[in-house]
Formats: sequence, C-alpha cells, structure tokens
Amino acid sequence: MTTSTAPRAARIGAFAPALLLLAVFFAGPLIWAVYSAFTDVALTGSAEVNFIGVDNFTTMWNDAQFWNSLWLTLIFVVGSAVIGQNTLGLLIALLLRGRSQSARGLVSGLVIAAWTVPEVVAGFCWYSYLHRDGTLNGILGWVGLDQNWLYTTPMLAVILANVWRGTAFSMLVYQAALNDVPPELHEAAAVDGASAWQRLRRVTLPLIRRSIVSNLMLITLQTLAAFGLIYVMTKGGPGNKSSTTPIYMYQESFQFYKLGYGTAMALVLLVIGAIFSLIYVRLIKVDNL
Amino acid sequence: MTQTLAPPPPVKAKSRPTADLTMPGRGPMRFAVYLVLVIVAIAFFLPFLWLVVASIQPGAALSADITWQFSFKNFADVLNVDTIFRPVLNSLIISGGTALITVFAATLAAYPLSRYRSRFGRLFLYGILFSTGLPITAVMVPVYTMYSQFELTDSVPALILFMAASSLPFAIWMMKNFMDSVPVELEEAAWTDGAGWFQSLRRIILPLMIPGLTVVFVFTFVTQWGNFFVPFILLQSPESQPASVTIYTFFSTYGQVAYGQLAAFAILYTLPVVLLYTAMSRVFGGAFSLTGAVKG
Amino acid sequence: MRPKLVLAALSALALTVAAAGCGGSDSGADDKTITIAYQKFGSFIQLDKQLQDVKKEYEAAHAGYTVKLLPIEASENDYYTKLSLMNRSPKTAPDVMYEDTFLINTDIQAGFLAPIDEYLSGWKDWSQFTDAAKAAGKAQDGKTYGVPMGTDTRALWYDKGIFQKAGLTVPWEPKSWNDVLTAARAIKQKVPGVTPLNVYSGKGAGEGATMQGFEMLLYGTKHTLYDDAQKKWIVQSPGFNDSLNFIKTIFDEKLAPAPQDALDPNWGTKVNTELFPTGKLGISLDGSWVSSTWLESGSKPWPEWNDKLGYTAMPTQNGEAPGKISMSGGWLLSVGANAKDKKASFDFVATMLNKENTKKYDIAAGQIAERKDVAADPEYLKSNPSLKFFTDLVEVTKFRPAYPDYPNVSNGIQVAMESVMTGQQSVDQAAKTFAESTTAAVGGPDKVTTAQ
Repeated sequence: MTTSTAPRAARIGAFAPALLLLAVFFAGPLIWAVYSAFTDVALTGSAEVNFIGVDNFTTMWNDAQFWNSLWLTLIFVVGSAVIGQNTLGLLIALLLRGRSQSARGLVSGLVIAAWTVPEVVAGFCWYSYLHRDGTLNGILGWVGLDQNWLYTTPMLAVILANVWRGTAFSMLVYQAALNDVPPELHEAAAVDGASAWQRLRRVTLPLIRRSIVSNLMLITLQTLAAFGLIYVMTKGGPGNKSSTTPIYMYQESFQFYKLGYGTAMALVLLVIGAIFSLIYVRLIKVDNL
Repeated sequence: MTQTLAPPPPVKAKSRPTADLTMPGRGPMRFAVYLVLVIVAIAFFLPFLWLVVASIQPGAALSADITWQFSFKNFADVLNVDTIFRPVLNSLIISGGTALITVFAATLAAYPLSRYRSRFGRLFLYGILFSTGLPITAVMVPVYTMYSQFELTDSVPALILFMAASSLPFAIWMMKNFMDSVPVELEEAAWTDGAGWFQSLRRIILPLMIPGLTVVFVFTFVTQWGNFFVPFILLQSPESQPASVTIYTFFSTYGQVAYGQLAAFAILYTLPVVLLYTAMSRVFGGAFSLTGAVKG
Repeated sequence: MRPKLVLAALSALALTVAAAGCGGSDSGADDKTITIAYQKFGSFIQLDKQLQDVKKEYEAAHAGYTVKLLPIEASENDYYTKLSLMNRSPKTAPDVMYEDTFLINTDIQAGFLAPIDEYLSGWKDWSQFTDAAKAAGKAQDGKTYGVPMGTDTRALWYDKGIFQKAGLTVPWEPKSWNDVLTAARAIKQKVPGVTPLNVYSGKGAGEGATMQGFEMLLYGTKHTLYDDAQKKWIVQSPGFNDSLNFIKTIFDEKLAPAPQDALDPNWGTKVNTELFPTGKLGISLDGSWVSSTWLESGSKPWPEWNDKLGYTAMPTQNGEAPGKISMSGGWLLSVGANAKDKKASFDFVATMLNKENTKKYDIAAGQIAERKDVAADPEYLKSNPSLKFFTDLVEVTKFRPAYPDYPNVSNGIQVAMESVMTGQQSVDQAAKTFAESTTAAVGGPDKVTTAQ
C-alpha cells in the first residue's frame, strides 16, 4: 500500500518508548506473575517463599468458591456487557438517528454523563440509589416492590450499574458506525418492500458488523476486569453472592495474604482474557492487521 | 439487495438518514420511540438524583428523605486542603502525567503500525489487542511485589509510569485507527519532497490528528482520574493519595453518616472530568466521539 | 537526524524512569524521621488525637527528630491489608506501628517487626507491666516484639429504659443464652421500633464479628478453636454449631438488626453513635471500650450514657461454671524491622506508653490498664464508672489463639456467620464449609482436629 522511505531502524525505534514502558511495567509483572503463581508467596505470615509446583492450581480446581466466582464473572460479562451495554447502546444509537437536536443532546448527554463519572462515584450513586431507603425504593414503594436490592439481588444490582456506566461507549461506537451507513441502501431496500425490521437485519446490521465485533471485544475484555464498581457497591457480598473472580482474587491476595494463590487466579483470568481476545481478533479479520 | 454499489457520496455531517425500523417518521411508532427515549433518559438520570440532592441538603444521610432545606454547607465542609484540594491536585498530576506520557508513546508507536506493514508490527498489534484484555487487578499483585522489590512503592512518578504502561495498549489501538483515517496520499507528497517519516509525522499527520490526540489524551485522563485501585495499592503516604482513593476512604468511613458531604465531595471530584469532556465536545462539535478509535 | 530524534525521545523516557526511581524519597524515610502507622476509623479517633500530642512531646524532648504520623483511615480488615502492604517494602515500612495482638505472630514470622528486648531492659517502666501484658508481645522465639497499650473485655450492654418498657428486671443478670434470647424476644414484642439484640456478624464487621460475636458464644460452650495439647485447630465441634445456631436464631426471629445493616462495615459506628444514644437498641454484645465514644473526648459525647445504659456479663451457654465469659484482645506498639533508628523508634513507644500517656489513652479509649501504676491511679479509676465491671471480667476472660493462621480461621468464621444470617446456608452446611475451607487454609488435615 505504501512505499517506505523510512529506514527500518527508525521504524522500530518509534516503538521504543512504548515497548520499553510495556516491557518494564507490563510484561515484567506478568512474567513475575507466572513465577509466583507456582509459589506460596504471602503478604505476611512468612518471610520465605517456596516453590510449590501446581499446588495453587489444584487448590483452585477444588475450590468451590473459585468456580462460583468464575460463574459470577461470566454472568456479569454476558449480562452487563454483551447483552446490556451492547444492546442498549445499539438501541439508543438507532433510536436517536434523525431525532431533534435537543432530544439527541438530552439523551446522549445523560448516557455520557454516566460514563464520565469516576467508578467510585458511580458506585456511590448506585449504592444510595438501590439502598433500602434509596430513590428506587421511593418509587417502587408505591407498588410495594421495595427492597434492599444490593442485598436481595446483588448480581442484578452490579450488572445494572455497569450497564448504566458503560452503555455510552457502545452508543458512541454505534452512532459513529451508523453515520457511515449510506442512506441510499435503506431507500433501495424500502422500495423493494422490505419491512423496517428486515431493513435493520439485512442492511444496517451487516454493514456495521465490524463495529459490533470490535465493540463486543473491547467491552467484554474491560468488563472481565471490572473491580472498582463491584467493590464499592457490595465488596462481593452478601456472602459471596457477587464475588466475581477479580474480587475473590483481591480478597485472597490482600486480605488473606495468599499472594501466590491470588496470582495463580490472575493467570487463569489472563488466559480467559486471551481466549476472548483471540476469538475476536479472528472474527474481525482486519486485513491490514 | 445487490451489493454492487457505487462508493457512497460524501456524507454531510447533518445529512438525514432515511428511516428503518426505528425511524417511522410519524404515528404510533414515533410516539413509541419517544416513549422509549424518555424512559432511557429517566433511567439514566435517577441514579444521580440523590447524590445531587443530598449534596445541597445539610445533614443528608443515605436515606433519600428530602427535607426541603438547601444550603451549600456540605461543600463548605469538604472544601479544605486535606479533603479536596490536595487530593485533587494529586489527581491532576497523576492523570495528567499519565495521559501525556501515554499520548507521546502511543503516537510514536502508532505511526509505523498505521503506515507500514511488517511482521513485527503485526505481532505488536496482536500483543496490544491481547493486552487490552488483561484484568488490571490481575497484574496488581505482581506489580506491587515488583515495586516493593525495587523500592518504587509510594513514588508518584513510578505510579505514573505503570499507569501509562497499562493505558498504552488501548491508546495505541485507538491512535492507530485514527491515523488510518488520515489519507496516506498527503504524506506521499511530502515524501517525494524528501521529508523523512518523522517529519511527515510531525508536519502532516499530527496537525490532522489533533482531534485524535485529544481524544486519546482525554480518554486516558478520564480513565486514570477514576482509577482508585492502582494508587490504593501502590501509594502509601496519605498526602500523596489522589482524590479517587481519598473519596473511597471517605465513603467507607463516613458514607452512612455524612452522605451529604460525601455527595459534595463526589461532585467536586467529578466536575473536572465532566468539564473537560464538555469542553472537548464543544471544540470538536457534536461529532466528537470515539468514532475513529474503535471502528476496527 | 532521524535516529537522533528517536534517541532524544528514548532518553527523555529513560530520564523519567530514573526520576521515578529516586522520586519518592519524600516519604520521610530519612534517619531523623520516625514514622508511625496506626488506624483511624469512624468513631475511633482517640489514638489519633493522643499521638498528635505525643508527637509534640517527643519532638520537644528529642531535638532534631521529627515524628511523622501516618493515620490509616480504614476499617479493621482494610487496616491490616494496608499495614502489610506498607511493611513489605523497606521504603514504606513504618518505624512504629499499631499492632493487634492476634496479628503480631503473623507479622513476626513475616519479619516485619524488630525485637525490642535490649531497649526494654533499660526501660524502668517495663517492670510496671503485668505478666499477662508482657506475654502479649512475646513471640515463640522468646523475644518481645511489642509494648501493650491496654487490654479490653467484652460483655452485654443494654438500655435500661427499653428493659423497663419491656417489663424486664433491671439490673439484668442473664444466666444462660436462653435468658438473653428471652429478653430480646420480650423487647421485640413490647417495644416496637427498637432493634432488640445486636451481635456483630459477617464480614463487614471483620474481626469484631469473630471476637465480639462468635467467640463470645463459642468460648461459653465446652469448646474452643484451638487444641493446645495437640497444637491443632478445632474445625468441628458441637459448640461451633450451637454458636452458629444462636446467630441463625436471632436473625431468623428478627431479634437482630436486618442483615443488610449488620453487614455494613460502618455498622459498629452506627450502633454506638446513633442507635444507643437515641434509644433504638435494646442489647448489644460489645467491647469494654465503647463507652469511650460517649466521653467528652469521644466522637459522640453523651453525658447521660451511664444512667441510660447498663452492662452485664455474657453468660455461658447453659450457665456452666464460672457462669460468665469474656474475650480479651488489645493492641501493641511495635518497632518495625526496617526502622533505621530503632532506639529512637523505641523511645517514641516509651514516650507514648509512659505512665501519664498510658493513663490518658486508656481513659480516652476505654482500655483496661495493663500498667500496675495506671491501674491503681485514682484518676484512672474514677474516669469511667464501667471500668471496675470490665476490669473484673479479666478473671474469666479468654484469649484468641494468636497463631499465624488465625486470620484465616477468623475469616472462615465470618463467612460461616454470614451464610447463616443471610439464609444462604443451614447451620450444618455452614459448619461443614468452615471445616473444609479452614482445613485447606491452615495446611491440611494433620493441622486440624474435631471435638465432641
């Protein structure tokens, strides 16, 4: 596509700052993580570090709480990212097309506001919103549905909060993608007598397929790592009802001092992230990648 | 239905797309669409409600009981060096420093990725994509241990470098996509004039990339402004903590009791990023979005 | 030209890295600065107040030295985490730290603390400490790693007004768990709008749930947590199940606060700054120190507290001898293994825990004195009317098994409590989960045993 005039060395040199940062502050800890996942390194309680082979992984295999956390993580990712943010973001983007400036401004303004709020503050908002004497119950109280949502349905609570916080990203991606869909296609399809639903399914969606895939990839991977929002809202509780793997890992590492075990769990999460990543990268089939 | 279409005519910014499912134009469907939009707007607004109201209610607690007494006492109570000013200044230094380093390194790395095809670049890009998926909590344990080994804990510059490294994968990915949208023909002209790659990057691409650079900067800044876990683990001294950490501490200590003050604190802490975002949308028009960033 | 630019960019980055390397030297790690790490949370502000005074006193007496206070604002569990994070790096490790007696062995094994025997031998005040106090800071290696600040006991606090309304006799003297339940049921029935009985439970309250809640029950049965003869953890016993069942009963019958309230980490603060002072709580199983919140120096002054509230010993399960039970803990000041000037650091401990300052702190924080001269001091004795009662409980008090695995066991207890109070698991299931997870956590089946 292009003819290169830059010397190879300079091209590689341009990567240097990024590479250096990534190697020292990203790959370094990762390699250390691979090592310490096979040790019993502890935050406190023992000064020595022993190599213990795959013990951490066999413990994990037999740890019902770990499996529970993995299951909750899956629910969280599918519920809040794949279904929630993605669908709602697409829906809002579709509904907002061609609306008046004020309608667009108001709706996307609010959606984006939720996104710009720092996650700790988002946690406070939802903590008070869903609290027993909170705003939601103030409304639902009229129909007798009031309860402490953080306590009775903690997973639903954190999923909704994450949908609220993350939808803006998907919405922006889809607004951009829809802008690029040529109107003529719709007109042609409409002339052919296609219903609105058919036009959406046969014309619009295929055209923005790549945006959908890359959006799904990014939000899945970001949701997989979500920590702050859940930590602020429920700390994984009550019991372990909302203890997703990142929360469980934090607890094991920093509260029960099992850095080695926590790191082993981190490795498993990394592998899951890698698998997701690879699937999506394959799906995109970016030709210049 | 045929896919053999001429390249679409240039889409004007305000061109009105034609209707599909969601755009019937009139009648009950139109009403339904607006109804859904109103519900969405309300649903997105409600979680903010008590935070905003409580901030101007003296003595507000977690319970949403409006007293109809309003004052700015909560703001006055938290507007002091220890609660607001120092933490927010720390946040500015940390997020600003991180965003600057990230934009610098990402721009340099994105240029060859966007302009040249190479095995190395391909590999690098796969690595970048892969890294965006790494749960940050997962690397925090090893990062912490590594930092304590090299005595880098409690150092703000070291924290900034880690944050920059963790923001880089996504920043490079965004930046590369932005650069892809800058036509290569412009550079080819420069190359025939004998300009080197760095010069063409600086003279031709960067000016066209201002929106892209700003988006990456703001995106990194906003993300790190809200990042509480990384400084929570890596910084120890109370006086170097950013607002994200001090507000969490405030919440866990006084959340139930002094929710009004917490709300005031939260609003003051959130304000800078909202202003930043709004200012940027103004400058780049309503079209500002992650458009170029994630088209894939 | 081009490579030069790249080089410039690279060296700029390298400079930043280098700057990072030597950047954080402002954290007060130089030899003449003594850093003190301690907890400050909710209504617990007394230590913070006093350390600020002691800092001035110390700096005046030790020219050239600066004391840097590092208050860690965190709930109990988060405090331990943060303290461990600080301790793992020599650069951030504090010189003096506020240590819970149950964690001291854990931290000694991790190499975080320095033995202070050589300084203690030259400190004439050390002879004033009781033998029990001296033992609290002594590790398995026979060396001493901390100076105790005071101890505590636990008992039942109750609202006399609510008791009268419920038709119960005051002073109250329950003889068994059943008497406690009966009183709580009477309150529930006759005094609406009041929480009858607070027993800390679940992970939110942290160690408070284990110690003020569960262990106050368990140690009143025939069983405990640790078999000293066999040196094994007792992971299964009828007493364990009975204690869990007590928790289940009070939450099922709604004698206890709503679980979502009880699970909040701020619940303890709320109980003592809001519920008791406003007459919204009948009985609370809590520590000897809580009245310090209501003193003039506390975070919620409440001058009438001694007229409104009564206190009585927690009975054993069925009134088994000696009829009452208490648990004791307490905190120490320790010198960090990485302290650059250990003598100066110890001097700070000695200043903070000399007679005058110990007296002031024990009064302000509601601690039971462990210095004989303070315990006999008239000002101390007069400072708080509940003092005699709680000091007398020392006769029946028990201590936690302060082994490095204790935090894990304690957490297992909190999880078990939480799952029965929220109805996630039955008592038997929760006890079984506890046995399994604790066995794994303490290192396998040969480290645990069961009791009948």
